[in-house]
Amino acid sequence: MFKRHQNFALLILFLALFAFFSFFTRRFFSAPNIEDILSGYSFMAILAVGQAFPIMTRGLDLSIGSNVGLGAMILFDLDKVFHLPGWASIPISVTACALAGCVNGLLVTQLKLQPFVATLATLAAFRGTVYAVSGRQLYPELATQSVKDPWIRSLEGFLDIGHLTGLSRFVRLPSLPFSFLALLVVAVLAHVVLNRTRLGLNLKTVGGNPEAAHLAGVSVRRTQIVAYLACGLCAGIVAVLLVARFTTATEATGTGMELTTIAAAVIGGVTLRGGSGTVAGPILGAFLLGIILIGLTLMGISQFTQQILTGAILLGAVYYDRLTSDRQKSASGGVA
Amino acid sequence: MTAVNAPTLLRATGVSKSYGSLEVLHPIEFSIKAGEVRGLVGSNGAGKSTLIKILTGAHRPSAGDVWLNGRRLQLGNPHLMMDQGIACIYQHSSLVPSLSVLDNIFLGRQPTTRFGFLDRRTQLQAAQKLVAEYRIELDLLEKVESLSTVKQKEVEILKALALRSCLILMDEPTAWLSHSEVRKLHATIDTLRSRNIAVVYVSHVLDEVFDICDSISIMRDGAIVWEGPTTSIDRPRLINIMVGEKLGKASLESLEQKRKPRGTGDIRLSCHALARRNIFSDVSFDLYSGEILCFAGLVGAGRSDVVHAIFGAAQLDDGALQLNGEAHRFRSPKEAILAGIGLVPEDRRRDGLLLAHSVADNLVLAALKKVSRSGFLSQKRRRGLALRQIRNLNILPSNPDRVVSVLSGGNQQKVLIGRWLETAPTVLILDEPTVGIDVGAKAEIYGQLRALRDEGRAVLVISSDLEEVLTIADRIAVMAEGKLVSIHDAGAVSREELIAKIGGD
Amino acid sequence: MIGRLSQLGGVWLGRPGFGLSASLIALVAIFAILSPEFLHIDNLVGVVHRVTTTGIMAVGMTFVIMTGGIDLTVGPVLAISGLVAFFTFEGSASVPLSVLGAIGTGAAIGALNGAAVAYLRLPPIIVTLAMLSIVRGTALIVGGPILHQLPEGAGYEFIGTGFLFGVPVSVWIFLALAMLTAFVQRRSAFGLEVAAVGDNERAAFLSGRPVRLVKTLTYVICGATAALAGLIQSSQVYTASANFGEFGTELDVIAAVVLGGTSLQGGRGSILGTVMGVLFLGVVSSGLNILDVPVDVQLIAKGLIIVGALSARAGTQGQI
Repeated sequence: MFKRHQNFALLILFLALFAFFSFFTRRFFSAPNIEDILSGYSFMAILAVGQAFPIMTRGLDLSIGSNVGLGAMILFDLDKVFHLPGWASIPISVTACALAGCVNGLLVTQLKLQPFVATLATLAAFRGTVYAVSGRQLYPELATQSVKDPWIRSLEGFLDIGHLTGLSRFVRLPSLPFSFLALLVVAVLAHVVLNRTRLGLNLKTVGGNPEAAHLAGVSVRRTQIVAYLACGLCAGIVAVLLVARFTTATEATGTGMELTTIAAAVIGGVTLRGGSGTVAGPILGAFLLGIILIGLTLMGISQFTQQILTGAILLGAVYYDRLTSDRQKSASGGVA
Repeated sequence: MTAVNAPTLLRATGVSKSYGSLEVLHPIEFSIKAGEVRGLVGSNGAGKSTLIKILTGAHRPSAGDVWLNGRRLQLGNPHLMMDQGIACIYQHSSLVPSLSVLDNIFLGRQPTTRFGFLDRRTQLQAAQKLVAEYRIELDLLEKVESLSTVKQKEVEILKALALRSCLILMDEPTAWLSHSEVRKLHATIDTLRSRNIAVVYVSHVLDEVFDICDSISIMRDGAIVWEGPTTSIDRPRLINIMVGEKLGKASLESLEQKRKPRGTGDIRLSCHALARRNIFSDVSFDLYSGEILCFAGLVGAGRSDVVHAIFGAAQLDDGALQLNGEAHRFRSPKEAILAGIGLVPEDRRRDGLLLAHSVADNLVLAALKKVSRSGFLSQKRRRGLALRQIRNLNILPSNPDRVVSVLSGGNQQKVLIGRWLETAPTVLILDEPTVGIDVGAKAEIYGQLRALRDEGRAVLVISSDLEEVLTIADRIAVMAEGKLVSIHDAGAVSREELIAKIGGD
Repeated sequence: MIGRLSQLGGVWLGRPGFGLSASLIALVAIFAILSPEFLHIDNLVGVVHRVTTTGIMAVGMTFVIMTGGIDLTVGPVLAISGLVAFFTFEGSASVPLSVLGAIGTGAAIGALNGAAVAYLRLPPIIVTLAMLSIVRGTALIVGGPILHQLPEGAGYEFIGTGFLFGVPVSVWIFLALAMLTAFVQRRSAFGLEVAAVGDNERAAFLSGRPVRLVKTLTYVICGATAALAGLIQSSQVYTASANFGEFGTELDVIAAVVLGGTSLQGGRGSILGTVMGVLFLGVVSSGLNILDVPVDVQLIAKGLIIVGALSARAGTQGQI
């Protein structure tokens, strides 16, 4: 019973922390703050879902933040330099990120590089590309201009569910940011792919037992490439959402996000041994990090401490992962 | 049992495998009928796994053909072999632990609907039909990682059946299974037999082979040396053929004169009631200086686990250990080595050698103190030590700077022995010291072991090769199923008696 | 005769590091032709001078990678040890004390990394990624996001900007450290143990080597060298800041080590190779600077060089 609901413990922890912060800080349990959490961490949750794919195949994508920066800068350029309308520039940017993800996959499968080396190298290479194509640097006058394209701007809105349902007369409900709706779409799609298609099974098979996958005729390489591509796709979606939010892109967009996304995925039960993971887990993991960090901010803890905490939480999560895997090993009772 | 006139299902003719000039599998003839359960037995390195790997497609044979139902098979491709109807249940699971039983049964071949989604209903129905047909009780939606080992074996069998396999190879299927679980597995094999599916059953546990197999093939030194129905052979004769009888009576007698049971009479290592939960229990013995004590038994009898526990490299739950009269309980190999024990592990490449390093580096690894002064290596002493052991053990090529991975198996084994000679251990343990080594190197290693004994060291050798045991042992301890069954003076026990003990009678 | 020669050539070509030294010489030649001032002695010393901090860290990192590990924390360790040196110096005005404090800090962080990897058996990449964030956050709490101006005099800046016999002190430190560690790696029991652990951890354990201690010590060394680099950097620019050693520092360091022929699987490698790798990357970026190649293109070029070097090696070894 417990095994089937591996996110159950996580959910309990989530609710407990939520209750804790609601009780100890005044503004935590308020509509504006919940809006803040939702709009601040929805895109992190999307990235965590993306990061889950390579981890599921025993890999890792350290370049995810640089990839977000790349997508954002391409979108900015297409809008400000080439004056492309949003209906064209948005798909182009997302495709570019997916291709960048594909490059990671090719480095890992074709050149047989260790995932972390390959993606550490592309972390630098993608960030370098961001600087190289930055319209803000090529045309300094663009640096202060914002993106005004209606297609892009329309992606930054709020859905006032209080008004929509008529409940606003009784209680102030948080409005749902568009990025949260995007997260829901990504989550549903990813869940279907992971659980209802052969591709999803192949991802888990390749990560869970590559030898068995090979024997069963599953293409290990192709599956790995798809995993990195999916991760890049999520980075592209987030890049668009971030440009819509800030109406601009900087050379630093997305810096340091790899850490949080890996932490969220590992907390969400995507084990580094590969082969298992859900979509709900990384999303819960991302929001768990979100409420901890925002809750602590409300309690007056500095952003630097948050950085320390993120690291500590990641350490705790891998340690927990190690303990459970040790327990499984001793339960199955074999010696080498 | 099978009908005698059942059609021949699989036939392998002239199948052989060589690596360079070394032929590990001599050209063999092998055939099996539909619905036949064939036991395949032999010592480590006899060629069983090579034959199995050719049949699964993991290895491509150097020569020969395999026919299945009169059709010539394309060899050397595991996926293709599965499609052609040969499935294998490996010692190590080929299941994906995080997936359900259902998904594992159809691994890589899950049916999909027109829209590309998984067709759960068709999949479930097909699986339920299989489960009902073969009377296997399984919760199809359970994850494999939460199943017991025997249930996992059944999932692998179902996986094979879902492919409509007509031949299932089982490589040590009962490792880590309890007695009742083995019976369960055998019941399933009975069902397979009644559905005309052939099974090749590879096992070291002879009880099981006699229990379930219709016929038996015995392999030794890369060839099938005996083949026939189970009813026409008994256990002692089987063991006799399996471990070889090449050694003439005369040479045995000449060796006996040199035997020195209990050596000089001083107890070096004394073990009392050693135990590790679920692995071994009640292991008590004394090891004297100036003798070679051999641990005989079948693979999986727990001998390696015992010596690793003594050496501090594996858990020891219970029991008392004395070295030179002092009580010890080693928490790491480092402590054991300091106290004067050395261990040459069973798997050279996995546990022994630094494959990317030179012969000299491999030789000095356990005796770094000896070649260094305040932490710094003396090149002169390092080289001196290496050359000394190279000369002493006749290691070829004799260049100490040669990378160890290019040496032959026998020379690699000598390097590992040389590593311990430099620590001057009072007790030296060797785990299967001659597996995969040619005859010449074997003789050299035997000579070296005798020399060590004559220097007054206590030598403990684990060997599954009865001929080897009879050749070098002063005393013989027999282990079976995690228990030390008996200890004999080598001159005072017959081969037949030993075979009976090893078989667990 | 020709046969003998080609045999000799084969021996040379087969030597590890030969490809790298050949490309280094070729590269220097190309830059010298494109821009003759490249060969000027001041420029050459300058090339080495610019890579000293990276080089010092790469020397420490070589030990970690030789055991099959990785250390991503060198950037923030560089920053925090600069801060520790600054505050110790402000408090005590003692150069030896601040040097000791800084290097102690680096070693302590390395010990934490090593303990998590060796004793808790956590994956090095995740441990040091998490520690990267933890150390950076700690540095920012200790020093804030501002630049701390070093007080005048007292010789602290001598470490970073002083000259001995016309060559910068930091270059001397790098050379001395490289020679010392190369000696340790090739001629000490510890050096052999490091390589043995990376080659076959189980074999080293069964031969009585203190595997966990050795692993931990490599991280301690790496942390200490990162701290030394932090000292030099802060004294070079007269300031200490929590933001020094920005993301990408560790990439440069790892790149140099890997270019120098040290295998990421562990077991194979050498300090001398690493030094060559450092010089190679230094020449590349100096040359590109002289040729006025923009920084972003340099960043991409560096990524490509690493990928190229690694995949070339994966091809020849036919493994992971």
